[in-house]
Amino acid sequence: MTQQPQSCSQDPFDLYSPEFDANPYPAYAELMQNHPCYWSEIAGKWVLTRYEDVFEALHNWQSYSSLQGNLVDELPGRAGNTLGSMDPPRHDQLRAVVHSVFAKRNLEHMVEPIRQLTNKALDGVEDQAVFDFSNDVSARVTVGLLCALMGLPDGDNTTLRDMALTMAQTDPVTRQKGPEHIAAFEYVKDYAEKVIREREKNPGDDIISQMLTAEVDGAKLNFAEVQTTMTTLIMAGVESLSGFLSMMALNLADHPEACRELVEKPELIAGAVEESLRYNTTAQRFRRVLPQDLELHGQQMKAGDFVILCYGAANRDPRKFENPDVFDIHRNPKGHLGFGGGVHLCLGAAIGRLAAKVFFEEFLKRVPDFTRSDEAMRWVSSSNFRSPLNMKLKRG
Amino acid sequence: MVKAVYIDHEGVEEELEMPEGWTLMQAAISNGLDGIEGECGGSCCCATCHVYVDEAYLDKLDPMSENENALLDNTVTERKANSRLACQIKASEALDGIVIQMPEAQS
Repeated sequence: MTQQPQSCSQDPFDLYSPEFDANPYPAYAELMQNHPCYWSEIAGKWVLTRYEDVFEALHNWQSYSSLQGNLVDELPGRAGNTLGSMDPPRHDQLRAVVHSVFAKRNLEHMVEPIRQLTNKALDGVEDQAVFDFSNDVSARVTVGLLCALMGLPDGDNTTLRDMALTMAQTDPVTRQKGPEHIAAFEYVKDYAEKVIREREKNPGDDIISQMLTAEVDGAKLNFAEVQTTMTTLIMAGVESLSGFLSMMALNLADHPEACRELVEKPELIAGAVEESLRYNTTAQRFRRVLPQDLELHGQQMKAGDFVILCYGAANRDPRKFENPDVFDIHRNPKGHLGFGGGVHLCLGAAIGRLAAKVFFEEFLKRVPDFTRSDEAMRWVSSSNFRSPLNMKLKRG
Repeated sequence: MVKAVYIDHEGVEEELEMPEGWTLMQAAISNGLDGIEGECGGSCCCATCHVYVDEAYLDKLDPMSENENALLDNTVTERKANSRLACQIKASEALDGIVIQMPEAQS
């Protein structure tokens, strides 16, 4: 196929353009209103945007399967080997092995480490009037947290973070994973392999050792499953939590009245986290494949077709949320799809919520007043995630 | 559509309607009920959609799996004879009108 993105400008779902990364919402609104089950030529996939349809698809794995992968542009070797690219019952068995580490009731011990990591990162930018929130604050906290949670060696953090971020991206011109994205994925896989080999020799009580010792149906998990799952946890942990913290900081920079309210009443922060997840969803889009033909909104979808589920659109569906384009920290947006839903509901939802809450409690104490440093901001180039790239903030 | 009545720990009732095949957890999440968390999204590994099922409907439910049984031993509120996980209860005609009580806490 010839790669000529410009020639496809008639398709409102211009998934790989920088403009779409920056603001997908006008296109979502058009699709929700007029094309609720839309065939995108650019993506070569169906696109669902309404809350009701995305919710149904998330809760019906028999009709919307993950077996061929959940990333819109999948990485080699992931399909079938990790939680996001499995269906029940295998999915549920593997999830049961790793779930307890991420269970809300088991996370109390992480509160103080998150607080300390946040303050340590903020110490590093203390003297800077303009600081790099993405690289020097949110990424550091996220990588530190991930290492603590997974019992990973702390070294090499910046490279690991850069690689996890790169592997989640897509080349905006070729519309595929380019050599640098594949190389980043291989780097993280190799990193995972080293850690796994080490844990095989010296098992501890960490999540990797748990995966290595667990038995499902009387058999150990295979190496590819442990490795791909760990690789995914790194990608999800580093990219999506770090991206989410940046996104929430941006929301507060753009809504100073909400920010002031949170500074005065930190007890509202948890609600603001939920509204941020809804209003500017980091995990914008994931995909499924159809095991059978399916008709929806008068469209005939065929077995084998891919479908993109747009969580970011569903979270702005006026049929579900009143005035969806308004950022309202008092909204209490129950049922939002910021963490997806159904059996693939984000494994890290509880730690993500806790980390964001504790992080902003500390951050707003020390940086109560801030704005965007650059009005023209770049966005991560990704067909799944949406977050600002290298976001800088200005104090006062 | 199937109706189900959810009663929270303070006795407040809410009636929800859902399509057949939905789970009672799914309907609670979709409607934003506070009493059910459903942390694992219905993959039956977290025990945060623990409910007490009205005796009149208990016999109409599918028998519980070994896994559900084990998880019910790890709920944060007391397990009773009518304890079940809402993610394992699928709405059906036979269950129309089912009444479930939600415990004070899930995690």
